[in-house]
Order: sequence, then C-alpha cells, then structure tokens
Amino acid sequence: MAVALPVIKGTLDVLVLKALSWGPMHGFEVTSWLEERSGGSLDVEDSALYQAFYRLEERGLVSAEWGMTGNNRRARYYRISSGGRAHLRAQTSQWLRYAATVSDILSAPARAR
Amino acid sequence: MPLVRPGIRRLFDLMVRRRDVSSRDVGTEVSLHLELRVEQLVQRGLTEHEARREAERRFGPIERAVPALEALAHRRDRRMSFRDWLDSVVQDVRYALRGLRREPSFTAFAIITLALGIGANAAMYGVVDRLLLRGPDHVADADRLLRFTTTVRRGSGGEVTYSSAGYVMYLNLKAVSAFEELVAYTPSSFSLGKGREARTVPGSAATANFFGLLGVRPLIGRFFTPDEDNTSSPQKVVVLGEALWRSQFGGDSRVVGQTITLDQGTYTVVGVAPRGFTGVELARMDVWVPMSDYSQNTADNWPRSWNAQWLYIVGRIKPGVSPTLAADEATRVHQATYDAAPTRSMAKAKIGVTPIRFTEEGVEPTEASVSRWLLGVTLVVLLIACSNVANLLLARVIRRRGEVGVRLALGAGRRRLARLFVTESLVLATLGGVASLLVAAVIAVLIRQSLLTNIEWTTPPVSGRILLVSFVVTLLVGLLVGIAPAIQAARGSLQMAIQRGRSQGRRLGIGAWPTILQATLTACLLIGAGLFVRSLHKARTTPLGFDSERVLVSAVSFIEGASTPQERSIQRARQKETMRRALVRLQEHAGVERAAIAVGSPFGNAFGVNLFVPGFDSIPKLPGGGPYVSAVTADYFTAVGTKLMRGRTFRATEGDGTEPVTIVNETMARTLWPGQDALSRCLRIGADTAPCAQVVGIVEDAGRYELKEPPTMQYYIPLGQERGFGGSVFMIRPRATPAAYEATAIRLIGDTDASIDRVTAWPIRDKIEPLLRTWKLGATVFTLGGVLALLVAVLGLYSVMSYSVAQRTHEMGIRIALGARTRSIVGMVVRQGMIMAAAGITAGVFIAIIAGRRLQDLLFDTSPNDVPVIGVAATVLLASALLASVWPALRAGRVDPMRALKSE
Repeated sequence: MAVALPVIKGTLDVLVLKALSWGPMHGFEVTSWLEERSGGSLDVEDSALYQAFYRLEERGLVSAEWGMTGNNRRARYYRISSGGRAHLRAQTSQWLRYAATVSDILSAPARAR
Repeated sequence: MPLVRPGIRRLFDLMVRRRDVSSRDVGTEVSLHLELRVEQLVQRGLTEHEARREAERRFGPIERAVPALEALAHRRDRRMSFRDWLDSVVQDVRYALRGLRREPSFTAFAIITLALGIGANAAMYGVVDRLLLRGPDHVADADRLLRFTTTVRRGSGGEVTYSSAGYVMYLNLKAVSAFEELVAYTPSSFSLGKGREARTVPGSAATANFFGLLGVRPLIGRFFTPDEDNTSSPQKVVVLGEALWRSQFGGDSRVVGQTITLDQGTYTVVGVAPRGFTGVELARMDVWVPMSDYSQNTADNWPRSWNAQWLYIVGRIKPGVSPTLAADEATRVHQATYDAAPTRSMAKAKIGVTPIRFTEEGVEPTEASVSRWLLGVTLVVLLIACSNVANLLLARVIRRRGEVGVRLALGAGRRRLARLFVTESLVLATLGGVASLLVAAVIAVLIRQSLLTNIEWTTPPVSGRILLVSFVVTLLVGLLVGIAPAIQAARGSLQMAIQRGRSQGRRLGIGAWPTILQATLTACLLIGAGLFVRSLHKARTTPLGFDSERVLVSAVSFIEGASTPQERSIQRARQKETMRRALVRLQEHAGVERAAIAVGSPFGNAFGVNLFVPGFDSIPKLPGGGPYVSAVTADYFTAVGTKLMRGRTFRATEGDGTEPVTIVNETMARTLWPGQDALSRCLRIGADTAPCAQVVGIVEDAGRYELKEPPTMQYYIPLGQERGFGGSVFMIRPRATPAAYEATAIRLIGDTDASIDRVTAWPIRDKIEPLLRTWKLGATVFTLGGVLALLVAVLGLYSVMSYSVAQRTHEMGIRIALGARTRSIVGMVVRQGMIMAAAGITAGVFIAIIAGRRLQDLLFDTSPNDVPVIGVAATVLLASALLASVWPALRAGRVDPMRALKSE
C-alpha cells in the first residue's frame, strides 16, 4: 500500500462533486468510490467527507434526500445540482492547469553545476 | 388546559427542535456509515471487533467528529430552511403579482386608494412633525427651552397674557435659579441694502448668549460676543442666515469681515448661521444682530426702562425641575425686583412659562392644533381606504373560491392559503406605499407653498422620517386589509367551493358593515370640511370697517443725516412737506381714485395719547384697550372705505394751526355718550388743559390688527394736529387692483424728492391673508379628505351593491319569474343601498356633533352644529349613495329570469 497523501484543503469538495457526477450516492458509497479511485492513497478521515457534504449542501452544490439502500437501510443520498456541475467543471480545469504548471516547473532538469 | 397555546408551542418547537432533527439525521447517517464500513472490513477478513475499531479509527474520533458534524448540519438546515422560506415568499409574491395583473381595474383602484390614504397621512405627518414634534433645527434639547409669559390684570377685569418683555425684566429674571440661563430675542424685519435696491428681509435681534444656549454652531465665522452685545457700547455686527449668504453672497466664505447695509446702518459680517437655523421659532431668519444694538432707540435708558416691551425671553430649565415651580419662582423674582410705579398692573404681574413653540399669547399656535386635527382627518381617510380595499379583497376571495377550492383539494394547507392572501395584500399595500410617496410629495408641496408659507421647511417634502412613517403605515395597512380575506379563505373556503353560486340568503351580505363605517366617517369629514369652509368664508368676508380689497399702503424711509436736535426738527418738517407733495402727485395721477396720509392705520401702527373728556374723571376702559388715535388727511375715509355714519369728514384745510376737530368711531360715541348725540362734544387731547377738539363726525368701527376684536374706542384728528407720535403711511385707493398699482405708486412717491431713500408698498390684504391661514389649512385638508373619502366610499358602495346584485341573480330571476316588476326590483336594491348610507350618515352626524364641541375654538363665527353644513353634507352623501346604488339596481331589474334560472 502506497503512502497516504494528505488532501489539500478545498480539494475534497471537488473530489466529492466528481464522485457524485456519476450519479446519486450515499456517504459510504462516495467514500468507497474515492478509495477505489485513489487506491487508498488519500489520507482523510471519513468524517471530513461528511463535513464536505454538509458544506456543499449548504452552498446548494448538492442536494440530499432520504432513501433506502439495497439492503433496505435508511440512507441519505446526495445528488449533484446543476450549480455543482458548473462548480466541478470550473474547479477541475483550474486544478489541472495548476497541477500542470507546478509539475512543469518541478520536472525541469536541474541546473548543471 | 395547556399552559401554552398550541400555536405558540408549535412556533417554539420550530426554533428549538430543529437542532434535534439535524442531530438525529447526523446520527443515522454516521451509524449507517460505520455499519457499512464494518461489513466491508469483515468481508476483507477482519474480526467483528477489529473491524469496529478500524472503522471508528478511519472515521475520526467519534466524540469530536460527531458534534462537529452536528453543528455543521444544524447550520446547514437553518440556512437552507431560511432559503426555502425566502423562495416560497418570492413564489407567493410572484403568484400575487400574477393575480393582480389578471384584474387590472381592481388592482389599479386598490393601489390608488391606498396611495391616497398613505400619502395623505405621510404629508400630514410631515406637517405635524415640523410644527409639533421636531422642534426648530440645530436647537439642542428643545424640550427644556421655555418661553416666558407675563399675565397682568386688565383694568376692565380679566387677565391678559403676552410674551413681550423689556430688557430690564430679562436682566431681573436671570436670578431665577430654576434656569441654567436666559436669553432674549426679537423677531423683526430689516431693510437690506441701500436706496431702491434695498429689500426687506426677516431677521432677529438676539442677546450674545442666545446661540450658545440653543447649542448651535456657526457654519463659518462666529456668532457675536457679549462684548459686541454690550448695552453701553453695542457693535454693529451681523450674522447672516445660510440662505441669504448663498443667494446674496454666492456662498463665499470670504464674506466674514465684509460690511452690509441694514436699516441704513453699516454692519460687519462676523459669521454665517448653519442651514435652516431659525432660532427658537420656525420662520426663516436672514440676519441676526446684537440685541443691544437693536434696542438702542426703543426707550430712554432702555436697559432699565419699564416703558417699552420689545423682546421675548427664553430660558433653559435645569433638568428635572418642574415648569410650574420655575414659573412660581420667576413670579416671586419679578415682583421683588420690579422697580417702577407700584400702581401699574406690571407690579403684580404673574410670570409663566410655555414650550417655545407656543405663541406670543402663551397658547399653542392654531396651525398646530389644526394640523393635529388634520392628521386625524388623513387617518380617517386611510381607514376608509383600508376598509374599502379589504372589502374588495374579500369579494375577490369569494370570486376566486373555485381556485381556492382546487388548491385545498390539492392539499394546500389552510395556513399556506391564508399566507397567500396576506402576501397579496402586502404586495398591494407596498405598491400603494410606493405610489403614496408621489401623493405625499404633491400634498406636502401644496401645503408648503400655499398654506403654511410662514414656516421655514428645512427638510425635503418626503424626508427620511416620512419614508419611515410611510413604510410602517404600509406594513400595517397590508396586514390590516389582508386579515379578513385570509381568515375567510382559510375558514369557509372548501364549503364555499362546493356551494358555489348559491345566494347567501343574508340581506346585506358581505361588506355591509365596512360600507356603513365608510359612510359614517365620510359624513364626519364632510361636516368638518363644511365647518372649515364656512369659517374661512366668514373670516374672509367679515366686515372690517374698511375696503380691505381696495387699499394699497405705502411707507417711505428718508435718508437720515441730521445730528443735532435742531437739525433733526428741521429735517422732520421737510420730510412732512415731502410727504404732502408726494400725496398731491398720487392724487393727481390718473390711476388713483383717492389717496390719503395716515399716522396710525388698520393693520399698521396704533397710537394712544392721554385723553380727557369733560364729564369723565377717567375714560372707561374697554377690553380691547384704547382709545386709539389716528391723524389722517381729508380723503382718508373715502380712500380706505370707512363709512361716515353722521356729521362730516375732515376738510382739506383742516390741519396744523386750525381749530382742533375730531371724528370718533361708533363704539366711542356709544361708550362716552350713550343715548345722546356725540356730535359737537368736546375731547381734550394730550392734556386736560388742551383746547376742546369738537366732534364733527362719527364713523363706523374699523379693525386694527385682528379679524375679530372686542369693540375698541378710536378717534381721528386732522393730520398736522398730532403731538407726540408720528410715522405716516400713504393709504391709496387705486382704480386698478392694489397689487397692480404697487410698482407705479413706489415710482411716483420715490421720484418726489431726492431725500427719499426707499419706498415700500403692500396691499393691505397682505396683512390680513396670513390671519386666514388656519382656516385655509383646515378647509383645504378637510375638503380634500372629505372629497377623497366620498369618492372612495361611493366607489365602495357601488362595488358592494354590484357584487350583491351579481350574487343574487338567481333570486332576482325567481322574483321576476313570479311577477315582480322591474320597478319594484330596482326599488328594493336601491332601498338596500340607501339603508346602509342612511345608517352611516346618521352615525356620522352623531359623532360629528359630539366631536365638534372640541373643534369650536378653531372655527370662525361658526357653530360646530351648524345646521346648513350638516344638512348639505348629509344631502351630498345621500345623493352620492343613490347614484352609486341606482346603476347596480338597474342591472338587477334587467335580469332575464330564464337565463338566471337556467344558469344554476
């Protein structure tokens, strides 16, 4: 198992939105989805995820609804809103540009002595 | 029985329990998460125990994480529910607007009605705010400023109260310990500038401590100092009003140190008062000069003399001291310090204190009392407007019962439905409130420019305070007119929806009570309007003993240059001669019918000299004071239009050096020689050794300075025979109107001689019109209110009757089918309308008679129970009600029985 990466502040919200862009999920489903995608390399407490949900909900980027899981258990399902999609798009492109710039700089060959 | 009513508990629950709901949701979510995680880990081969520990580790410390989540969830729920609420309000408002747009004539009528009601109130509030509430601008803590009054016994019995006082009294009263400090001021008018360019500006003389006591700061420069207001060597300095400074000096701050000409003297400008500073009164002030400078010529030894009273005393009472005790102390101080003849009424004078907004006579200004009534008038108009709109909304709810029923059937809560209707009325009120600002501005401008012109209005017609008042009134109105329809909608709606179209069975039906109330209030307003209009008419046409519409008065000021008494008397003789020459020029001018010179004239100066009448130890005293004397030229009586009752007027030859003669007024003739002939009697004028002045004529009484005065003795002597008083004016009777001749008269007189500095002229009516202000204000606002109320009430009655007829189409159909004739149907409906109107009018007359008693003091020669006024008001209302019910009645008479019966 790779060393867990600390999550940069604010990124978790975008990751959650990304997860929800695949369809409505409840909290644990999102957790599993992120773990799968990152290969377990994100170092974040599960509770932080729920904080992100609540924040996003408050901002109107996701909406929530009580529903039943396959095993007939009551779960809160989160759904990305159109505002959330727009936010995801904007954040994604910004993040990719940022990452590309940073990696360009860092991967430049070291100056010869 | 529960301690707290269910409705209130529900509200309380909403606030407190919401936190529990959020927490429960968080709990459910977290435990599901942990369960699923455990299941996942067990599947991966961990034991149940290990899996639980690992799940909790990954989640984060439960005891910290869960409360944090709960707080977050709670915040989220609160904000989101607020947003939901806001959304639903927006939705409701949209819905209301849509509904209002669907019925444009109803909407327009409701908005206009509310706008008129709210706007009229806002405007009147503005007046009351200025006259009664706000106090003069720039005056700190105006409630603690009190005006001193003097009450003395009259020789004829009774007391008289006035505010004018002498400087000596001002100095003496400074010892009263109840006051922090005393100041004195005299409102006056000044001639600003030189010669023909000069103009008259309002101003005031004030003691140097006046500004400090009021708490006002100069805009630029400074106010004058005690040194400049020194009684022994006063300085000619002046503080300008801000408005004059802007108009005359272009707002240039370098004005300080410059000189201006005031009443032919040269004054140095030391400062400018802040914008809207009017001292303790509310009239505009353009210049402020030191009291000592202004007072110099009022009397010999003016700082200590009791012989002239020209200033008003104002004091700032110490906090917590009762005005009554302060007045008692002032009376004691005055009586202890009074040092003139102990026989004079002044020796026993009582000193009183009143709020500064009170008049010279120590009473509330009638404008203020009237404006308080008028605020009542506008409130009544608003009430009528509200009840009318509420009525319309109610009818509308019933009209829309189909829609309401559908909504209820679809599961809309009754509360939600009620909210919908309140929202609608609030939207309506808000639209009305916005439109009302225009109404308020128009009314305020009208009042400012033509009714209360004597007030310096320092705020815009729609000020912040007025906006606030309008806003609050709008909210109240919205709730008020919405409640009845909301209750109606929430209560009977489902049932109503089912029995749609059936007649209600009630005779008057919905809207009868508001209609009767409207008729009642309208009757009150119309009667009030009638009383004020009648008062105004009586005041305007009250006989004054001269032709107030025809006379132009003109005064002359000469260039003063004499320094020795001898030079002065020569100059005075020359001036008299110039006046005579100017009179001849006037009399010869084609535009003049008659012209005269008078010393002492109606609504001008009044003089009294010692008078002795053979057969009397002392002259009887009448409540109006006097006897007063005027010195006039031969044409005086024909020029002003005072009728000669008996005998003759003066001859052109009579004057200085000829046989002394006199003309007395009717009151004087009747008082001195009751039941006898006054002609040929003798008056000794000035001293008891003076030669007999024979009475050669008797003229009618003429007013002196009020519309209504107690009978006063007045006599006239030929110009030139007066001793010890002076100050002449021209009394001109032009062929054209006085105003039209003003400029010609000024030019004609001014061109007579080079020694004339300045000529002013004014129609005598200008001095009388301001006295009509109260009745003008009352008549205008009451009439506006009355007409408005009548209009609204008639439209209200019309709509109620139309609605009732529409409701009873079925019934009418049956009646007609059973053989009722059109005439009897029409009669029945009209009778119904008239019953409502008559009931309202009767109640209105009753209320008006009771309330009228309190109006008595504000009326002029009019009884509050004036029968013609009440009769006319009732007739107008009844006629209007008839008109409003005939139309719907005719419609009822035209009902086609077949269609009416089939349609149901």
